[in-house]
Amino acid sequence: MAQSTPIKNRIVVLVVEDEPLQRMMAVDLVLDAGFDVVEAWSADEAVTILENRTDIRIVFTDVDMPGSMDGLKLAAAIRDRWPPIEVIVTSGHARMSDVTLPVGSVFFPKPYDTEKVTAQLNLMAAT
Amino acid sequence: MPGLLSLRRDALRQPETNVTNLPDLDQIRRLELLEAYDILNTPPEPEFDDIVLVAAEVCGTPVSLVSLVEADRQWFKASVGFEPCETPIEQSVCAHSLTSPDLLIIPDLTLDPRTAQNTLVTEPPHIRFYAGAPLVGPDGVAIGTLCVIDTTPRPEGLTPSQQKVLTALSRQVIALLEHRRTSHRKDELFRRQKGMSANFRATVNKTIAAQEAGRIGTFEIDITTNVIAVSAEFCRIFDVPAVPTYDAKIFQDMVVPSDRGIHSNDSNRADGSAPMNVEYRIRTATHGVRWISRHAVLEHDENGRPVKMIGTVQDITEAKRTVLRTQALLDLGDRLRDLEDIADMALVASDLMGKAFDATRAGFGLVDQAAETLTIQSEWHSVDADALALKHHFRSYGSYIEDLKRGEPVVLSDVKTDPRTADTADALLALDIRSFVNLPVLDHGRFNLLVYVHHDHVYDWTDEEVSFIRSFGDRVQMAMAKLQAETEQATLNREIGHRLKNTFAMIQAIATQTLRPVTERNHVQNFEKRLFALSKAHDILIHDHGGASIRTIVESLDETLAMPGRIDLDGPDVVLGPRGALSMGLVMHELGTNAMKYGALSQPQGIITIRWVIDDGGQEPQLTFYWQESGGPLPKPPERKGFGSKLIQMGLIGTGGVVTSYEAPGFSVEMSASLQQLQQAH
Repeated sequence: MAQSTPIKNRIVVLVVEDEPLQRMMAVDLVLDAGFDVVEAWSADEAVTILENRTDIRIVFTDVDMPGSMDGLKLAAAIRDRWPPIEVIVTSGHARMSDVTLPVGSVFFPKPYDTEKVTAQLNLMAAT
Repeated sequence: MPGLLSLRRDALRQPETNVTNLPDLDQIRRLELLEAYDILNTPPEPEFDDIVLVAAEVCGTPVSLVSLVEADRQWFKASVGFEPCETPIEQSVCAHSLTSPDLLIIPDLTLDPRTAQNTLVTEPPHIRFYAGAPLVGPDGVAIGTLCVIDTTPRPEGLTPSQQKVLTALSRQVIALLEHRRTSHRKDELFRRQKGMSANFRATVNKTIAAQEAGRIGTFEIDITTNVIAVSAEFCRIFDVPAVPTYDAKIFQDMVVPSDRGIHSNDSNRADGSAPMNVEYRIRTATHGVRWISRHAVLEHDENGRPVKMIGTVQDITEAKRTVLRTQALLDLGDRLRDLEDIADMALVASDLMGKAFDATRAGFGLVDQAAETLTIQSEWHSVDADALALKHHFRSYGSYIEDLKRGEPVVLSDVKTDPRTADTADALLALDIRSFVNLPVLDHGRFNLLVYVHHDHVYDWTDEEVSFIRSFGDRVQMAMAKLQAETEQATLNREIGHRLKNTFAMIQAIATQTLRPVTERNHVQNFEKRLFALSKAHDILIHDHGGASIRTIVESLDETLAMPGRIDLDGPDVVLGPRGALSMGLVMHELGTNAMKYGALSQPQGIITIRWVIDDGGQEPQLTFYWQESGGPLPKPPERKGFGSKLIQMGLIGTGGVVTSYEAPGFSVEMSASLQQLQQAH
């Protein structure tokens, strides 16, 4: 479901969200922040994309999604298979304990503050 | 036997003559001896009739009585010249003789203050003369009198020889009673047990069940040889063949391990330190664990060394278990309250139930009705028994699953003889199950929990025991249902919270997309931030089960602002209802936003002081909330009233009560609202 062609030297963010409206908002957020974006509607699709592309720097994922894995498992898989990739997790679950989140990932409860998420993307892109 | 109604009034002045003032101890001993003689209400006997005939003849009186004095009446074992077989104690003259060691002679009853008002004197039969000899048992306890009575006064009383005869005849009555006590016994032991049981009932154990009260065994241990001589009842209680003597060690070894040390043994008997009155449990060959109450005395030789231990044993199992069951039910209530895990609850209940019954096993199992299987959930078993395997097919053990499916309890006293299990008895016996109770515990008419108790011996379950097991099952079921409901509620709360937050995220997405063409981005951002504030307030409400404390709401603002150390907050613990919490969450957000844009938080040194108090001096309690900024730029009133200012002006719950100030040291606001409205559930 990759939509935009990656441009050289621009940071690519993979947005993983099954709900179309929310995915649309997340994509706009990433684009407004000045990054390139790739979309996936499930964790399984995200894994396929990650296996086929090497330019993704940040994954911004929801937790509850259909398919064989949820966003938390995806985050864990990324930490395991693609350690350099940064992960932002968002969910409607009020409090996500640190235990269930892989090391180095950042959590935003839904609805999220677009300013704060943008700031986080910039921070991750800068390191 | 006179002793009149008005004597009660006299007695107030002369208490020593009052029948009802007899010392209690004497009365108890008298009643005990009467019970031991087993004489009251027996038919007339010629031996006693002859005595009153002789007494009347010798003394020349028309009336003679053998009068036995009970608590509230005197009863005549033999009488001549007197119709009634008893009179109320108030009419008893004999009661006065009980306290005198010798004959009581009253020559003219109308002249004696103790009897002048007695209705037997003042009314027919108008008795005038009384002479009575107390009937004194071997231990010096008087139980009544042999008396002679005349209807004319006798100033001369009785002659010395008449007195001697009357006294001798009274001793004869006692001799007859004593003789009767020994010779009329069909079973000497039985008599002794009955005599002792009176003492036991009075002094030792009031809870002993009536049907067991007579079942007392006796024993005598020769301390040098350790040979114990036992009665037949003793053998029945200890479930051993009835032979006259045993080695005492056999019975010591029957005591269950946890009760060892409180019974006697060869060494503590020899040094005289053995406890005399104890209760302990024994494990019998065919009756399982039984509770024994043992009372004993030591007999010493001339050097003061104990040579014999003599005593009684009684099976007090029923009484003891009744007490233990009550205690177990109380304990269950206490312990279930603290538990939050279904398996723990079933385990605690199994443990209490098993111990209260001294059972082989007690526990709970989950039933699959279609597969007819039982999966053990929690089980207690005695040290001598093995735990049951995890899963069982009901049909392997008999046909009683049919009863269970109908919701009926299965109560089997012997699996070998019950038609439901006779054919499969070996399978049960292999598990040490000789008798059992299986009770279906129904949850909304569904049978999926089973409570069971096993004994490895034949056991007749009482209705009380079965209903005890049922109340255990019901209580555990209720506790489990409550726990399950709470768990489901918590899951539901989380689910509602999750959906609500996703809905907020959807609104956010729709708004973002809809407002994308809007060039004034700060309006879009303001909307988004108000949405967060509302969403956060909902978080707190769901997390804290429908209420939110003011402190949590203010702390949540502090957290959102992410400027540590800038807010100083203090106030009592007050929990707001959903409406109050949501409304306050929004107001906090507006105040915080303004402080960041124009107020104290726009400068690095600015701070906000937040206080809230409850004022219950008025008609109804008011909550007042103070917000004071300082260290920021000098505030000025807003030029136009935006949505944020309107929200603030609406106050804590939309009813106003807001005072704002733009004076130094900074913006401040004071908001008051009815506490009751803030705390309302809806």
